[in-house]
Order: sequence, then structure tokens, then C-alpha cells
Amino acid sequence: MIDALAYAVVGLAGLAIIWGIVTAITNKPPGKAQLLYAAGLEAVTVIQSVIAAAKIIGGFRPAELATTIGYLIGIVILIPLAWFWANVERNRFSGIVLAVAALAVLAMTLRLLMLWTPG
Amino acid sequence: MTDLHAQPTGPSGHRSTGPSTNTGAGRVLVAVYGVFALAATARASVQLLTRFEEAPLAYLLSALAGLIYIVATITLARGTRASRRLALVAILIELGGVLTVGTLSVVDPEAFPRATVWSVYGIGYGFVPLVLPILGLAWLWHIRSTTS
Repeated sequence: MIDALAYAVVGLAGLAIIWGIVTAITNKPPGKAQLLYAAGLEAVTVIQSVIAAAKIIGGFRPAELATTIGYLIGIVILIPLAWFWANVERNRFSGIVLAVAALAVLAMTLRLLMLWTPG
Repeated sequence: MTDLHAQPTGPSGHRSTGPSTNTGAGRVLVAVYGVFALAATARASVQLLTRFEEAPLAYLLSALAGLIYIVATITLARGTRASRRLALVAILIELGGVLTVGTLSVVDPEAFPRATVWSVYGIGYGFVPLVLPILGLAWLWHIRSTTS
């Protein structure tokens, strides 16, 4: 984990949550920019997991190794699933679906930051 | 604008094309259930694999929670008449589980040395585990009353 990168994920996810809520309130399905933004969030999340995995392979041992690995894997599948689910039926609720996934990414990243202490 | 906000009517007259648990707000419910299916299952897997002997009951309940969330996610996402029935059973077990484990973990914290998703009514997850089955039941009730 790199702290600055983790906070970037938190910030990007926070904006994704707000964006999803805004499109829901304005009764619109997520537009192309919003979907691209979600893809960008996913890309940064994947980079974060890859870097963390590299550090673990390189010898770093977080106190809760199994939990940390579970989070690093779980966090990257949320946005793609939400993306799919939000696009099957496109309406105001699609934005909320993306927001739910972004909230989970945000919460999991904060948890990962806490978990990332040597055991 | 091809907004599918209205319920898909399909070929009219078909009873299978009424409102379903997987349309509209139901999609959000499925998404939240999906997140909890992932969270609870992953958490239980780690607990069972790495320290089962510490608190077998708590960790088995943790696994049960994960299973229930998976069943609820899939059945709500399918949204057929048969899957709605299964969803109802799963969500009732979920409600019973969060109330039972929540109460036990408050009354007898010793029995639950490590948190599960249902500990203290899901406090570790912003009490969403307590609210979710209530929303689920309300949604099933809503769908049933609009289809019949």
C-alpha cells in the first residue's frame, strides 16, 4: 500500500459516490463520462492492489495477512460487477448501484490502510 | 432517451412480465446484497481457514451469514416467482440471524470474541445488516402487492 495512492482512491471513490447520487436525483442514467470515470476508479484500484501484492511478495507481512489479501482481491471486482449491473437496466438506479460499489471501495481502502501494519 | 424507468411490460398479458424484484430500486437492493455477500463470505472464509478453533460458533454463524447473503443476492437478482419465495426464506433467516447474533453478542460478548457481520446488529458495517433484511422484506411485500 502507498498512502498517497490509497487516499487518491478514497477521493476518487468519494466523487463517484456523489456523482452516482446526483444522476439518481436528476433522474438520469449514468452518462458516458460517468462510466469512464468509474473505469478510471477501477484502474487506480487495480494499480493499488497490484502494488500491495508486489510488496507482500517482496516480503512485507501485514498483521492480518489473509484478511489483507482477501481485501486486495475483493476490492477490484466490485466496480466491474456494478458496471455490468448498472448497464443491464439503465435508469436513475444505475447511478446508485455505481455509488454503492464506490462506497464499498472507499470503505475497503480505509480498512486496508488500517490493516497495512507489519505483523 | 431510452429510459427504462417504467416496468418492462413485454408481451402484454403474460403474468411473468409483471414487476420483478430485479428492476428499479430492486437493482440497488441486489447491489447492496452483493456487497454483503462478498464481505461476509470473504470474512468467514478467512476466519474458518486461519483460526476456526478460536470461536467455532461465531465463525460458523459468519459463514451462514455469507451463505444467506449469496442466496438473497442471486434470488433477488433472478426475480422469478420461485426465486422470490426462496428470497423470502433467506431474508427471514437473515433477520433472525442478525437479531439473534446481535443480541447474543451484546449479552454474552465472551461467546463472540471476534466480530461477525451480525455482531452488535452489524455495528461494524454501519448497522446496514440490521436495516437490509427489513428493506428486503418491504421490497418483496411491495412486489407481491403490485403483481397480484
